[in-house]
Amino acid sequence: MPTSTITASGSTSFIIKKKELGVSTFSSTSFNIIPKKRCSKKVVSVMTPTQSQRPPSTTGSVKTALTMTEKILARASERSALVPGENVWVNVDVLMTHDVCGPGTIGIFKKEFGENAKVWDREKIVIIPDHYIFTSDERANRNVDILRDFCGEQDIKYFYDIKDLGDFRANPDYKGVCHVALAQEGHCRPGEVLLGTDSHTCNAGAFGQFASGIGNTDAGFVMGAGKLLLKVPPTLRFVMDGEMPSYLLAKDLILQIIGEISVAGATYKSMEFVGSTVESLSKLSYIFAYMSTTVFHAKMEERMTLCNMVVEAGGKNGVVPADSNDYISTLRFLSEYRFDVSKLEPLVAKPHSPDNRALARECKDVKIDRVYIGSCTGGKTEDFFAVAKLFQASGKKVKVPTFIVPATQKVWMDIYSIPVPGSGGKTCSQIFEEAGCDTPASPSCGACLGGPRDTYARMNEPQASHIMSMNCLFSVCVSTTNRNFPGRMGHKEGQIYLASPYTAAASALTGFVTDPREFLQ
Amino acid sequence: MAATSASVFNPALTSNKHPEEPSHVAFISNLRMSTSCLTKFQLKHLSPSSIPSQSPRNPICAAASPTCSPSATTATTFHGLYYVLGDNIDIDQIIPAEHLTLVPSKPDEYRKLGSHALIGLPSTYETRFIETGEVQSKYSIIIGGENFGCGSSREHGPVALGAAGVKAVVVESYARIFFRNSVATGEVYPLESEGRLCDECSTGDVVTVELAENLLINHTTGKEYKLKPIGDAVVYY
Repeated sequence: MPTSTITASGSTSFIIKKKELGVSTFSSTSFNIIPKKRCSKKVVSVMTPTQSQRPPSTTGSVKTALTMTEKILARASERSALVPGENVWVNVDVLMTHDVCGPGTIGIFKKEFGENAKVWDREKIVIIPDHYIFTSDERANRNVDILRDFCGEQDIKYFYDIKDLGDFRANPDYKGVCHVALAQEGHCRPGEVLLGTDSHTCNAGAFGQFASGIGNTDAGFVMGAGKLLLKVPPTLRFVMDGEMPSYLLAKDLILQIIGEISVAGATYKSMEFVGSTVESLSKLSYIFAYMSTTVFHAKMEERMTLCNMVVEAGGKNGVVPADSNDYISTLRFLSEYRFDVSKLEPLVAKPHSPDNRALARECKDVKIDRVYIGSCTGGKTEDFFAVAKLFQASGKKVKVPTFIVPATQKVWMDIYSIPVPGSGGKTCSQIFEEAGCDTPASPSCGACLGGPRDTYARMNEPQASHIMSMNCLFSVCVSTTNRNFPGRMGHKEGQIYLASPYTAAASALTGFVTDPREFLQ
Repeated sequence: MAATSASVFNPALTSNKHPEEPSHVAFISNLRMSTSCLTKFQLKHLSPSSIPSQSPRNPICAAASPTCSPSATTATTFHGLYYVLGDNIDIDQIIPAEHLTLVPSKPDEYRKLGSHALIGLPSTYETRFIETGEVQSKYSIIIGGENFGCGSSREHGPVALGAAGVKAVVVESYARIFFRNSVATGEVYPLESEGRLCDECSTGDVVTVELAENLLINHTTGKEYKLKPIGDAVVYY
C-alpha cells in the first residue's frame, strides 16, 4: 500500500489539473482516504494506475472534463473516458447489505453461484443489520441469524452483529443505521464505487464517491462477481451559493431542490451539489474542532443529508465533489440549477410526497400529534445538536410526544456525552429530558419505514387520540426522515410532514407545524 | 376460484439447488455479453417450468380470468384483466415495509409476499387487488401513470407483483430502481405506454398485450394502444 497521510480536518483532496481540461483527466490523480476510526492513524493514499500514453489520434476529442460521477465510473470501469448513456462494467469497491435485503441477496448468490461458492472479496462486503432489530417479530430476528450464519461461513470481515436485543450496548459490534455506520466506520472513500441494497445508499455521495442503491438480484451478482453493469447517468448540477442562514439546514436545501424538480426530476441522473454554501456545510464542525472523535463526521453530516434524499427525486446517485475550486465546463451537465441560499426559508414536504413542498410558516395551522427525530436522514449527531440548540434557545417543553432515535451507537454516545455549546455544559440527552422528550431509543432505522407492528414510535393508529378539530382527523407527524408516501411510517392514513431538525424541534414545542425562526432569531 | 389458474411466473425463484439450470447459465454468461444479453436474461423464465414441487401447468398462461384458455396465450402475448393505478405508486404501497421480513428467495415466503401485493394502497382505491382470503390476484396486468415504483430499492416490489400473478406492468414512466429490478428478476415485464393509459382504462377491463407488435388491446372498450418497444426499455436503465 502506498504511504499514508492524514489530513487533520478530515477533508479530502482530489486533485484535478485545471490546465488539462483538454486531455485525459487521469494522468495523475490521488485520493486521500479519510481515516477509518479516530484512534486509527492508518490512512491509505491510493494512486490510480498510470495511464499509458494516449495515441495522438485520440487526444483532442475530449473537449471538456468529465463530471465527478463520470470520472469515478471511468476509473472503476478502467476506461479513460466515457459518456452518459453508455453501459459499462464497473468494479465495485464496497457492497453493503442489511437485515431486510441481505437474506434475499444471499439466497440469490447461492442459487446463481452455487451453494458452496465464495464471495468475491470477504473484505469488500459490509453487512449491517439495522432495519428490524428491536422487535419480537420472529422472522425479523431470524433474518439477522441468516446474516450471521453467512458471515461465519464466508468469514466476512465487516459484520456489525447484534445478539442481545434487550440492551444494544451489550453488543460491541452493533452499529445501527447502515448509511451512517458506513460513514463512521470509514467505508466511504472518495472516488470509490459503493453499492448497497438500500435506496439511501446514495447518502455516501457526500464523500465524493459513486454510491447507489440496487436490488437483491444485482447485489447477489456483485457478491459473486465483484462487478455490475451500470449505465452512466448524465449529471444535473445544483449550485448553491450565499451565506447559509442560521435557521436553515441541509434538509431545507434538499427539500427545496426536490420541490423544484419533482420526485421524478432526476430519474436516471446524477445530482451534483456544488457552490460556496455546500463547501461551507457543517459549520458546527468548528465547534467540534477539539473533539477528534467527531471532526470527521461532523463536517460531512450535512452533506450526507443532502445526498441522502437524492433518491427522493429519482436520482441514481448524488455527489458532493471534494473541496476544490476547479472549474468543470458547464457543457458537460444536462442542466444546472442555481440557488441563492440566503433567500430560502424553512420548508416542509407535506403529505404524501417528498416533492409536496411548502413553507413551514404557511403550515402553522396544522395541528400535529407527534414528532420523530431519527433515521439516516435526520438522526445523526449534528441533527440532534440542532434540535438541542433550538430547545435550549426556547427553554420550553414539548407539547407532543417527541421520539428521539439516534442512528447509531456512536450517535447515541455523542448525545449522552458531548456538551452542547451555550448550554452551560449540558448534553443533548439532558436537554431532551428537560424538554420532555421521550428517552432516546435504541439505534436503528426505527419507525422511519414503519416496520413490524411493535416498532418503537410506529404510527399505528389512524387517528390522533385527541381530535379537537377538523385539522386533526388523522395522526399527524413531523419527521426528520426521508419519505412520506401513504403508510410510510405505519398506518396508511397517517400524515407525515418531512422537515429539518430545527423545524421538527420547533413543531414539537408548539404542537403545530412551526417555522424554527419562532425560536432561533 | 381465480387462484387455481394462476401460474408460476419465475421458476428460477422457486428452485434452490439446481446450478445447472438454464437460468444459472444465462446469469453467468451475462458477464461476457453486451447489453443485448439482458433481453435474453429477461426471457429466461419462458422456458417450461422444471420444478417438480409445482403442479404441472403452462407457465406462460396469463393468470386468472376464468375465460382464459391456456392455448390462447403464447410466449409473446398476455391476456387477462387489468388493474389501474395512478402516478407515483411507491414501493411501500406495492408491498408495505412490515412484510419485508419475508425473504423472496424462500418459496413459501415468496408466495406470502405475493399475497400482500398492493395492500398498501390508500382507501381511494375501492377495488381490492387481491380478494380477501385469496393469495393471488385475478388481475394479471397493471396499468399505471408516471414514476411507477418510486421510493425504495427493494426488490420485494416487483417480486410481490410477480408472485401475485402479475405478468406485465404498463405505465407511462418508471422509477429507475423498480425498472431495473423488474428486468433483473424477470418477475414482471416492465412496459411503457405511449400516453396515459391510466386515464382511459378501468380496473377489470379485459386486455391482451401483444409484445411482438408492441400493442395493447382493451377488449372492453375496443381501443388499441401502442407500447414502446421493450428492447429499448431494457437498455434504458
